[in-house]
Amino acid sequence: MGEATVPLLLLVVPLLGAIVAALSARESWLARASTMVAMLVVLALALRLFLAYEPAADASPFDFNLPWMPALGINLHFAVDGFNVYLVLLAALLFPAVLGCTWGSAHTPRRLYLVLMLVLESSLLGTFLAQNVVLFFVFWEAVLIPTGVLILVYGGERRQRAAITFFLYTMAGSVLLLAAVIGLGAEALRQTGTWSFELGVLYGLRLDWNMQMFVFIAIMLACLVKVPLVPFHAWLPLAYYEAPPAVTALMAGALSKMGAYGILKLALPLAPDVAAAAGPAMAALAVTSLLYGAVLALREENYKKLIAYSSLSHMGYVVLGLFTLREVAVHGALLQMLSHGVAVVGLFALLGMLEQRLGPSYRHVTALSTAAPRFAIWLMLFVLTTVALPLTSGFTAEFLILFGAFAQGLAAWQAQAGTLQLTAALLAVTGMVLGATYMLRFARAILFGVDAGAHRIADLRPAETASLLPLLLVILVIGIAPAAVMSKAQSVATQLAPARTLAAPVPPALPAAPALASIGSTHGK
Amino acid sequence: MASDLAYGLLPDHLLLALLLVLMLLETIGAREGIASVLLRFALLGACAVLWQQIATGYAAEPLPGEIRIDRFALLAKLVILACGLLWSLVSPRGTYKSAFLAGSSLLGALVIMDSAGFVLFFLGIEMLSLPAFALIVHGAGRGTAAEGAFKYLLLSAVASATMLFGIALGYGATGSLAMAPFADAVHTGAPPAVAAGLLVASGLFLKAAVFPFHGWAPDAYSGARLQVTGLLASVVKGTVILALVRIFGTVGLNAETTAIITVLAMLSIFYGNFAAIRQRSFKRLIAYSSIAHAGYMVFALVDTTGGHASDLLWYVAIYASTVIVACAAFAVLCPGEGDDVQALDGAFRARPVTALVFGLAMLSLAGIPPLPGFFAKLFVFTSVVASGYLAAASVAFVGSFIGVTYYLALSFRLFAGDVQSAPAERVPLRGEP
Repeated sequence: MGEATVPLLLLVVPLLGAIVAALSARESWLARASTMVAMLVVLALALRLFLAYEPAADASPFDFNLPWMPALGINLHFAVDGFNVYLVLLAALLFPAVLGCTWGSAHTPRRLYLVLMLVLESSLLGTFLAQNVVLFFVFWEAVLIPTGVLILVYGGERRQRAAITFFLYTMAGSVLLLAAVIGLGAEALRQTGTWSFELGVLYGLRLDWNMQMFVFIAIMLACLVKVPLVPFHAWLPLAYYEAPPAVTALMAGALSKMGAYGILKLALPLAPDVAAAAGPAMAALAVTSLLYGAVLALREENYKKLIAYSSLSHMGYVVLGLFTLREVAVHGALLQMLSHGVAVVGLFALLGMLEQRLGPSYRHVTALSTAAPRFAIWLMLFVLTTVALPLTSGFTAEFLILFGAFAQGLAAWQAQAGTLQLTAALLAVTGMVLGATYMLRFARAILFGVDAGAHRIADLRPAETASLLPLLLVILVIGIAPAAVMSKAQSVATQLAPARTLAAPVPPALPAAPALASIGSTHGK
Repeated sequence: MASDLAYGLLPDHLLLALLLVLMLLETIGAREGIASVLLRFALLGACAVLWQQIATGYAAEPLPGEIRIDRFALLAKLVILACGLLWSLVSPRGTYKSAFLAGSSLLGALVIMDSAGFVLFFLGIEMLSLPAFALIVHGAGRGTAAEGAFKYLLLSAVASATMLFGIALGYGATGSLAMAPFADAVHTGAPPAVAAGLLVASGLFLKAAVFPFHGWAPDAYSGARLQVTGLLASVVKGTVILALVRIFGTVGLNAETTAIITVLAMLSIFYGNFAAIRQRSFKRLIAYSSIAHAGYMVFALVDTTGGHASDLLWYVAIYASTVIVACAAFAVLCPGEGDDVQALDGAFRARPVTALVFGLAMLSLAGIPPLPGFFAKLFVFTSVVASGYLAAASVAFVGSFIGVTYYLALSFRLFAGDVQSAPAERVPLRGEP
């Protein structure tokens, strides 16, 4: 009983915190305190869950399953598995960190703000933990409500437009998702005789090509808008720019991972044949997005938008890794989700703190290294993670992804299956160079310019440093010793990897995938 | 037999007694305030009786071929009366006449659900609509109300005539005025029965304002007072939809009728949602949104798995109560007779709880999870997809997305112009558009 309820507690605790915050007096300390306590309890639970999760065990003990609408096969089923074990920890970590960083901002004392943050956390964790596809959809859409209202109420000048664009864009993506979800349930009814939306059951179904195609398109549309990848990214600059700093950080750090998670959890296992066939095209799309984001970031003067475009670029790596369909690249994609989530939250949080201190003039800030040295050091750490410096998580993740992409591209080339994948992998490497260029340009502009003496910036306070510290910890652990973390997701990587043989037969000249994985997992030690 | 007539129809008797008492009280000139109280108590009593009947699994056929009380009838009556009760609780206290009219409309709804034959059914339909015309005009004090009511009256008369024609054709085909043989004949798809089924269905579609029979709805809804609009869009419309289930049962329709219903449902969904986007008046918006919702509900009829009876009960219950709550919350947020949606701007600051309720009601109508409206849609669409209409369902989802735009705009209005909560430091600079 005890362990099985942990996934449920992860969802309930924020809601309890939200109730306390909603009932507390206007602008009282109680609202803030209960929010922080709830988030920290969630973090503690998530940490315990992460450490105790045994990928080798047949059934995870953290499995909460309660019939909800038995006639339709809809269960309240929350469980931890290899797919979500990283993401639950990431989400649980980012919320308190972001709240800690924006503790002194103008809207943190507001009850509505805190309640919405907690509801957002609960629904986000619900998306990651749901093992029933209807439940997944419910949480997937439910995330939009608090995010939309947070942008709408606390956003910048054009917040109304940003909120509506964000909401409608992401809703539009998931219009077909519900049709696919119901279609899958009906398919289960046809094949097994009972309605079921349990993912465990749906994975076992045999879908014909057309059904797989429909499911794949529906899921990918929803996910690519959420990630986002290039033709679907139009909501991103406006929403990231207009949202309050904490929400921008969470959107880039945690919400964008929902899209990648949807690909990982639904699209690849439910439509394996179509995913394998569409893999090269999707990888090419991901690389396009990656380069597009990098080029935009190169030309961007506005710090916040620059980070937004860099986020677009880095999420491209995740999708590239997933659609390479190789063990090592899937590992890389999973790590990249974690690494990017942490690094981008750090960057956005630091920009938010600058904005909080300086107001709109933070956009002209320079020479931070002399004005606020601790601030500068932290900023540089996150910049270095973003440019994938060895010993940071960014390097581990992007190395594994590119390694996998190259191996796959070479294999496809040698198997006379075209050079699209190889070209994509080569171009993805260019993205890394571009990434280093724009991030270092950003760092130079903000840290090392000529100080006109106009800015008096308070340096980081201890509370803010304490909020950033866990992020750094994640970066270093993954950068230095990723093997222990990667072992948690091994089952997923091996489960998805066999699909690659459908795309292109692997020539015997190449080492087999497990060997690659072991190279990838030990390089940093 | 006699006890079935007494106990089985007890909710109907309670409402009838209420109507008589109301008439009596008005003639002796008792205080007006007592009317709504009596209506609430009568509805509560009737709901309790129905609850008891459902709990004990009561079923009877007091008049074979004319009155049949089965589980669906009981559930449908409970849904309708519970929504009526909710409506009477949240709307302001009315006069004797308004309580009387609402009560007799609800009585008509009960009669429809009790009927197993077309004679009683037709009586019920007329009892449902006739008081509604009067209710639109009553207390509105505007020319537009009379115009709306007149449109409704004329088109309802056409609907009744169409239905009667269909019933007559059905009688010719089956030799009976009972519903069960009619539904079987429609199921098998013999030409006269198909025509009869389509005529009856179009009559009811007209009453439920399904495209292209929707012309009366925006005028009638916008002419009436807001609470009456709420009643028309929820209980009256829901009853008509459940009446369709009552007639056609769960045996499924023939292919021709199914195809026509699918097309009409899609057109309804798209037309209603597109037209609602441009509306500035809340009542007209509710009217167009109710056209779209009629589309979803009618779409459930193409189901062949037999699940649509329970799906539609859920849908009507959730949709009707949401509309009632939305109308009541709107009345609180924008007191007075005006119904321009602009009045909602920034309402969250003034009345946070009501605004939140209104916003959630709108999102629920849009079908955004985890709100109830989503589950209502989910149930309908699971049945429809299981019957093999995945493509049509996908189209319907696209249509429902169009609906999201205006529901969302309405709920976002609550937070609009909320200048104080916007942090002062966030001012766009340097070439930011």
